[in-house]
Amino acid sequence: MFGPIQNTFALALLDPQRPVPGALVSHTASPPAKRFAVYRNNVVVGLVNALAKRFPAVQRIVGEEFFAAMARVFVIENPPRSPVLMFYGDDFLDFIASFEPAAELPYLADVARLEAARTRAYHAAEAKPLDPAILQSLDKAALGEIRIVPHPSAEIVRSKFPIVTIWAMNAGEIELAPIEDWSGEDALVVRPALEVEVRALPAGGAAFLSALFAGAPLAAAAGTALGESADFDLAANLAGLIGAGAVTKVFLANLQKDEMP
Amino acid sequence: MTVRNHITTATIAGSLAAAIAMLSAPAWGAPKPPQPTMDKCYGISLKGQNDCAAGAGTTCAGTSKVDYQGDAWKYVAKGTCDAMRTPKGMGSLMPIKS
Repeated sequence: MFGPIQNTFALALLDPQRPVPGALVSHTASPPAKRFAVYRNNVVVGLVNALAKRFPAVQRIVGEEFFAAMARVFVIENPPRSPVLMFYGDDFLDFIASFEPAAELPYLADVARLEAARTRAYHAAEAKPLDPAILQSLDKAALGEIRIVPHPSAEIVRSKFPIVTIWAMNAGEIELAPIEDWSGEDALVVRPALEVEVRALPAGGAAFLSALFAGAPLAAAAGTALGESADFDLAANLAGLIGAGAVTKVFLANLQKDEMP
Repeated sequence: MTVRNHITTATIAGSLAAAIAMLSAPAWGAPKPPQPTMDKCYGISLKGQNDCAAGAGTTCAGTSKVDYQGDAWKYVAKGTCDAMRTPKGMGSLMPIKS
Protein backbone atom coordinates (compact mmCIF):
# COMPACT_ATOMS: atom_id res chain seq x y z
CA MET A 1 0.00 0.00 0.00
CA PHE A 2 2.87 2.38 0.79
CA GLY A 3 5.02 0.94 -2.02
CA PRO A 4 4.08 3.43 -4.74
CA ILE A 5 4.41 6.39 -2.38
CA GLN A 6 7.81 5.25 -1.20
CA ASN A 7 8.96 4.65 -4.77
CA THR A 8 7.89 8.10 -5.88
CA PHE A 9 9.57 9.59 -2.84
CA ALA A 10 12.83 7.70 -3.35
CA LEU A 11 13.01 8.52 -7.06
CA ALA A 12 12.28 12.20 -6.47
CA LEU A 13 14.90 12.30 -3.74
CA LEU A 14 17.74 11.60 -6.16
CA ASP A 15 16.33 13.25 -9.26
CA PRO A 16 15.57 16.97 -8.98
CA GLN A 17 13.85 16.89 -12.37
CA ARG A 18 11.02 15.00 -10.75
CA PRO A 19 8.30 16.89 -8.94
CA VAL A 20 7.98 16.94 -5.18
CA PRO A 21 5.96 13.86 -4.22
CA GLY A 22 2.34 14.88 -4.10
CA ALA A 23 1.59 12.83 -1.02
CA LEU A 24 3.88 15.02 1.10
CA VAL A 25 2.12 17.36 3.47
CA SER A 26 3.14 19.82 6.14
CA HIS A 27 1.36 22.32 8.33
CA THR A 28 2.61 25.23 6.21
CA ALA A 29 2.41 24.12 2.64
CA SER A 30 1.44 21.14 0.61
CA PRO A 31 3.52 19.92 -1.07
CA PRO A 32 6.38 21.44 0.97
CA ALA A 33 8.73 22.03 -1.96
CA LYS A 34 11.39 23.97 -0.08
CA ARG A 35 11.67 21.48 2.74
CA PHE A 36 11.88 18.62 0.33
CA ALA A 37 14.68 20.45 -1.51
CA VAL A 38 16.62 20.76 1.77
CA TYR A 39 16.17 17.07 2.46
CA ARG A 40 17.08 16.17 -1.10
CA ASN A 41 20.23 18.22 -0.79
CA ASN A 42 21.22 16.83 2.58
CA VAL A 43 20.89 13.24 1.45
CA VAL A 44 23.31 13.84 -1.39
CA VAL A 45 25.69 16.04 0.60
CA GLY A 46 25.76 13.53 3.46
CA LEU A 47 26.65 10.65 1.14
CA VAL A 48 29.24 12.73 -0.70
CA ASN A 49 30.81 13.56 2.68
CA ALA A 50 30.81 9.88 3.65
CA LEU A 51 32.79 9.14 0.47
CA ALA A 52 35.17 12.03 1.17
CA LYS A 53 35.83 10.56 4.63
CA ARG A 54 36.55 7.16 3.18
CA PHE A 55 38.66 8.37 0.24
CA PRO A 56 40.65 11.32 1.60
CA ALA A 57 43.70 10.73 -0.63
CA VAL A 58 41.54 10.59 -3.75
CA GLN A 59 39.93 13.82 -2.64
CA ARG A 60 43.31 15.45 -2.12
CA ILE A 61 44.56 14.32 -5.53
CA VAL A 62 41.67 15.79 -7.50
CA GLY A 63 40.72 18.62 -5.15
CA GLU A 64 37.55 19.12 -3.14
CA GLU A 65 35.49 20.60 -5.93
CA PHE A 66 36.22 17.85 -8.44
CA PHE A 67 35.76 15.17 -5.79
CA ALA A 68 32.41 16.50 -4.63
CA ALA A 69 31.14 16.74 -8.19
CA MET A 70 32.40 13.26 -9.08
CA ALA A 71 31.05 11.74 -5.85
CA ARG A 72 27.72 13.38 -6.48
CA VAL A 73 27.35 11.67 -9.84
CA PHE A 74 28.21 8.36 -8.15
CA VAL A 75 25.77 8.91 -5.28
CA ILE A 76 22.88 9.65 -7.63
CA GLU A 77 23.60 6.51 -9.65
CA ASN A 78 24.50 4.30 -6.70
CA PRO A 79 22.52 5.13 -3.57
CA PRO A 80 23.44 2.97 -0.55
CA ARG A 81 21.95 -0.50 -0.47
CA SER A 82 22.73 -0.91 3.21
CA PRO A 83 22.20 1.42 6.16
CA VAL A 84 25.81 0.68 7.21
CA LEU A 85 27.67 3.61 5.72
CA MET A 86 31.18 2.51 6.69
CA PHE A 87 31.39 0.34 3.59
CA TYR A 88 29.51 2.66 1.30
CA GLY A 89 31.59 3.19 -1.82
CA ASP A 90 33.03 -0.29 -2.28
CA ASP A 91 32.12 0.16 -5.95
CA PHE A 92 33.22 3.80 -6.08
CA LEU A 93 36.55 2.63 -7.53
CA ASP A 94 34.87 0.94 -10.49
CA PHE A 95 32.93 4.11 -11.02
CA ILE A 96 36.15 6.18 -10.96
CA ALA A 97 37.78 3.80 -13.44
CA SER A 98 34.98 4.39 -15.93
CA PHE A 99 34.42 8.06 -15.14
CA GLU A 100 35.56 9.93 -18.19
CA PRO A 101 36.55 13.27 -16.59
CA ALA A 102 39.00 11.30 -14.37
CA ALA A 103 40.51 9.41 -17.30
CA GLU A 104 43.67 11.53 -17.33
CA LEU A 105 44.43 10.23 -13.83
CA PRO A 106 44.55 6.50 -14.63
CA TYR A 107 45.97 5.69 -11.19
CA LEU A 108 43.06 7.26 -9.32
CA ALA A 109 40.90 4.13 -9.19
CA ASP A 110 43.79 2.11 -7.76
CA VAL A 111 44.40 4.71 -5.04
CA ALA A 112 40.70 4.43 -4.23
CA ARG A 113 41.09 0.65 -4.10
CA LEU A 114 43.90 1.04 -1.57
CA GLU A 115 41.78 3.40 0.53
CA ALA A 116 38.79 1.04 0.41
CA ALA A 117 41.04 -1.80 1.62
CA ARG A 118 42.21 0.43 4.46
CA THR A 119 38.65 1.01 5.66
CA ARG A 120 37.90 -2.71 5.53
CA ALA A 121 41.09 -3.38 7.52
CA TYR A 122 40.08 -0.74 10.03
CA HIS A 123 36.78 -2.49 10.67
CA ALA A 124 38.09 -6.08 10.40
CA ALA A 125 38.09 -8.44 13.36
CA GLU A 126 40.87 -8.17 15.92
CA ALA A 127 43.50 -10.90 15.86
CA LYS A 128 46.89 -11.40 17.42
CA PRO A 129 49.74 -11.72 14.90
CA LEU A 130 51.87 -14.87 14.95
CA ASP A 131 54.70 -14.98 17.46
CA PRO A 132 57.86 -15.41 15.32
CA ALA A 133 59.33 -17.72 17.98
CA ILE A 134 56.88 -20.41 16.83
CA LEU A 135 58.71 -20.61 13.51
CA GLN A 136 61.73 -22.10 15.23
CA SER A 137 59.75 -25.04 16.52
CA LEU A 138 58.51 -26.14 13.08
CA ASP A 139 59.50 -29.49 11.62
CA LYS A 140 62.11 -28.62 9.00
CA ALA A 141 61.22 -31.53 6.74
CA ALA A 142 57.64 -30.34 6.41
CA LEU A 143 58.33 -26.63 5.93
CA GLY A 144 57.29 -26.62 2.27
CA GLU A 145 53.82 -27.88 3.17
CA ILE A 146 53.12 -25.25 5.76
CA ARG A 147 50.09 -23.06 5.21
CA ILE A 148 49.15 -19.84 6.91
CA VAL A 149 46.06 -18.20 8.32
CA PRO A 150 46.11 -14.58 7.19
CA HIS A 151 45.25 -11.79 9.57
CA PRO A 152 41.53 -10.91 9.11
CA SER A 153 42.49 -7.37 8.13
CA ALA A 154 45.14 -8.33 5.57
CA GLU A 155 44.57 -7.46 1.92
CA ILE A 156 46.79 -7.19 -1.13
CA VAL A 157 46.27 -4.33 -3.56
CA ARG A 158 48.19 -4.63 -6.81
CA SER A 159 48.70 -1.80 -9.25
CA LYS A 160 50.70 -0.94 -12.33
CA PHE A 161 51.00 2.56 -10.89
CA PRO A 162 53.08 3.69 -7.88
CA ILE A 163 50.00 3.75 -5.66
CA VAL A 164 51.79 3.37 -2.34
CA THR A 165 53.91 6.42 -3.08
CA ILE A 166 50.93 8.37 -4.42
CA TRP A 167 48.80 7.40 -1.44
CA ALA A 168 51.60 8.17 1.06
CA MET A 169 52.10 11.62 -0.47
CA ASN A 170 48.42 12.36 -0.11
CA ALA A 171 47.98 10.86 3.34
CA GLY A 172 50.66 13.10 4.85
CA GLU A 173 53.24 10.31 5.17
CA ILE A 174 55.80 11.69 2.75
CA GLU A 175 56.26 15.00 1.01
CA LEU A 176 54.50 15.78 -2.17
CA ALA A 177 56.94 15.68 -5.08
CA PRO A 178 57.22 14.64 -8.70
CA ILE A 179 57.45 10.86 -8.91
CA GLU A 180 60.59 9.86 -10.78
CA ASP A 181 59.99 6.13 -10.78
CA TRP A 182 56.59 5.58 -12.29
CA SER A 183 56.65 1.80 -12.02
CA GLY A 184 53.91 -0.17 -10.37
CA GLU A 185 53.65 -0.84 -6.66
CA ASP A 186 51.79 -3.56 -4.81
CA ALA A 187 50.56 -2.92 -1.31
CA LEU A 188 49.93 -5.00 1.76
CA VAL A 189 47.23 -3.47 3.94
CA VAL A 190 47.00 -4.86 7.45
CA ARG A 191 45.94 -3.76 10.92
CA PRO A 192 48.01 -5.90 13.32
CA ALA A 193 47.05 -3.75 16.30
CA LEU A 194 45.27 -0.42 16.45
CA GLU A 195 46.47 1.28 13.31
CA VAL A 196 45.97 0.34 9.69
CA GLU A 197 49.33 -0.02 7.98
CA VAL A 198 50.25 0.08 4.33
CA ARG A 199 53.45 -1.54 3.10
CA ALA A 200 54.91 -1.59 -0.38
CA LEU A 201 55.69 -5.15 -1.42
CA PRO A 202 58.97 -6.18 -3.03
CA ALA A 203 59.25 -8.07 -6.33
CA GLY A 204 57.06 -11.17 -6.33
CA GLY A 205 55.70 -10.30 -2.89
CA ALA A 206 52.12 -9.80 -4.00
CA ALA A 207 52.07 -13.12 -5.88
CA PHE A 208 53.58 -14.88 -2.86
CA LEU A 209 51.12 -13.40 -0.39
CA SER A 210 48.11 -13.84 -2.65
CA ALA A 211 48.96 -17.53 -3.03
CA LEU A 212 49.49 -17.99 0.71
CA PHE A 213 46.31 -16.09 1.56
CA ALA A 214 44.42 -18.31 -0.88
CA GLY A 215 45.61 -21.37 1.04
CA ALA A 216 48.60 -22.52 -1.00
CA PRO A 217 51.42 -24.23 0.91
CA LEU A 218 54.69 -22.35 1.36
CA ALA A 219 56.72 -24.13 -1.35
CA ALA A 220 54.00 -23.69 -3.97
CA ALA A 221 53.51 -20.02 -3.06
CA ALA A 222 57.25 -19.41 -3.32
CA GLY A 223 57.26 -21.16 -6.70
CA THR A 224 54.43 -18.94 -7.94
CA ALA A 225 56.28 -15.85 -6.77
CA LEU A 226 59.52 -16.96 -8.46
CA GLY A 227 57.56 -17.61 -11.63
CA GLU A 228 56.39 -14.01 -11.59
CA SER A 229 59.67 -12.42 -10.60
CA ALA A 230 63.16 -13.88 -10.71
CA ASP A 231 64.12 -11.31 -8.06
CA PHE A 232 61.78 -12.86 -5.50
CA ASP A 233 63.62 -13.16 -2.16
CA LEU A 234 61.96 -15.81 0.01
CA ALA A 235 63.78 -14.94 3.23
CA ALA A 236 63.01 -11.23 2.97
CA ASN A 237 59.39 -11.95 2.13
CA LEU A 238 58.95 -14.35 5.02
CA ALA A 239 60.49 -11.83 7.38
CA GLY A 240 58.29 -9.08 5.95
CA LEU A 241 55.13 -11.14 6.09
CA ILE A 242 55.66 -12.17 9.70
CA GLY A 243 57.09 -8.79 10.72
CA ALA A 244 54.07 -6.97 9.30
CA GLY A 245 51.77 -9.09 11.45
CA ALA A 246 49.88 -10.36 8.41
CA VAL A 247 49.87 -13.96 9.67
CA THR A 248 48.05 -15.22 12.74
CA LYS A 249 48.75 -18.95 12.50
CA VAL A 250 50.79 -21.52 10.62
CA PHE A 251 49.69 -25.11 10.23
CA LEU A 252 50.18 -28.32 8.27
CA ALA A 253 47.15 -29.19 6.18
CA ASN A 254 47.31 -32.90 6.98
CA LEU A 255 47.75 -32.25 10.67
CA GLN A 256 44.91 -29.87 11.40
CA LYS A 257 44.81 -30.93 15.01
CA ASP A 258 48.42 -29.95 15.50
CA GLU A 259 47.61 -26.44 14.50
CA MET A 260 50.03 -24.03 16.03
CA PRO A 261 48.58 -21.83 18.73
CA MET B 1 55.46 -26.58 -21.63
CA THR B 2 55.83 -24.56 -18.49
CA VAL B 3 58.78 -24.94 -16.20
CA ARG B 4 57.79 -25.45 -12.61
CA ASN B 5 59.76 -23.46 -10.14
CA HIS B 6 60.90 -26.07 -7.77
CA ILE B 7 61.76 -24.90 -4.29
CA THR B 8 63.65 -27.37 -2.21
CA THR B 9 62.94 -27.93 1.44
CA ALA B 10 66.52 -26.95 2.15
CA THR B 11 65.96 -23.60 0.45
CA ILE B 12 62.85 -23.00 2.50
CA ALA B 13 64.56 -24.01 5.74
CA GLY B 14 67.46 -21.70 4.96
CA SER B 15 65.13 -18.84 4.06
CA LEU B 16 63.08 -19.32 7.18
CA ALA B 17 66.20 -19.30 9.34
CA ALA B 18 67.32 -16.11 7.61
CA ALA B 19 63.86 -14.62 8.09
CA ILE B 20 63.93 -15.41 11.80
CA ALA B 21 67.35 -13.77 12.02
CA MET B 22 66.01 -10.68 10.24
CA LEU B 23 63.03 -10.51 12.55
CA SER B 24 65.18 -10.63 15.64
CA ALA B 25 67.85 -8.27 14.35
CA PRO B 26 67.80 -5.01 16.29
CA ALA B 27 67.93 -2.98 13.07
CA TRP B 28 64.50 -4.27 12.11
CA GLY B 29 62.78 -2.46 14.90
CA ALA B 30 64.59 0.82 14.43
CA PRO B 31 62.44 3.57 12.99
CA LYS B 32 63.26 4.44 9.41
CA PRO B 33 62.03 7.36 7.39
CA PRO B 34 59.27 6.20 5.08
CA GLN B 35 60.62 6.19 1.54
CA PRO B 36 58.53 3.73 -0.38
CA THR B 37 60.07 4.57 -3.74
CA MET B 38 63.60 4.24 -2.45
CA ASP B 39 63.17 1.05 -0.58
CA LYS B 40 60.40 -1.18 -1.80
CA CYS B 41 60.04 -3.56 1.05
CA TYR B 42 57.79 -4.66 3.87
CA GLY B 43 59.99 -2.86 6.36
CA ILE B 44 58.25 0.39 5.78
CA SER B 45 54.97 0.79 7.52
CA LEU B 46 52.84 3.71 6.48
CA LYS B 47 49.85 4.41 8.61
CA GLY B 48 48.02 7.39 7.24
CA GLN B 49 45.16 8.74 9.22
CA ASN B 50 42.48 6.61 10.69
CA ASP B 51 39.86 9.10 9.87
CA CYS B 52 37.53 6.73 8.14
CA ALA B 53 34.93 7.38 10.78
CA ALA B 54 32.16 4.84 10.94
CA GLY B 55 29.56 7.49 11.38
CA ALA B 56 30.49 9.66 8.44
CA GLY B 57 27.54 10.92 6.52
CA THR B 58 25.08 10.25 9.29
CA THR B 59 25.20 13.82 10.49
CA CYS B 60 23.01 16.54 9.14
CA ALA B 61 26.05 17.95 7.39
CA GLY B 62 24.27 19.37 4.41
CA THR B 63 23.35 22.97 4.13
CA SER B 64 19.91 24.23 3.36
CA LYS B 65 21.36 25.67 0.18
CA VAL B 66 20.03 23.77 -2.78
CA ASP B 67 23.27 23.21 -4.62
CA TYR B 68 22.27 20.00 -6.26
CA GLN B 69 22.05 20.49 -9.97
CA GLY B 70 22.00 18.20 -12.93
CA ASP B 71 24.64 20.28 -14.74
CA ALA B 72 26.88 18.99 -17.45
CA TRP B 73 30.33 18.13 -16.15
CA LYS B 74 32.41 21.27 -15.71
CA TYR B 75 34.99 20.50 -13.05
CA VAL B 76 38.75 20.23 -13.47
CA ALA B 77 41.00 18.25 -11.15
CA LYS B 78 42.82 20.87 -9.15
CA GLY B 79 44.33 18.88 -6.33
CA THR B 80 47.81 17.51 -5.89
CA CYS B 81 47.79 15.55 -9.16
CA ASP B 82 49.84 18.25 -10.92
CA ALA B 83 52.53 18.24 -8.23
CA MET B 84 53.03 14.49 -8.59
CA ARG B 85 53.40 14.46 -12.34
CA THR B 86 56.31 12.49 -13.58
CA PRO B 87 58.91 14.78 -15.17
CA LYS B 88 59.48 12.27 -17.97
CA GLY B 89 55.89 12.22 -19.04
CA MET B 90 55.54 15.98 -19.63
CA GLY B 91 51.97 16.16 -18.56
CA SER B 92 51.20 12.61 -19.46
CA LEU B 93 50.30 10.56 -16.45
CA MET B 94 50.44 7.34 -18.33
CA PRO B 95 53.20 5.01 -17.21
CA ILE B 96 56.25 4.65 -19.41
CA LYS B 97 55.71 0.93 -19.36
CA SER B 98 53.03 -1.03 -17.64
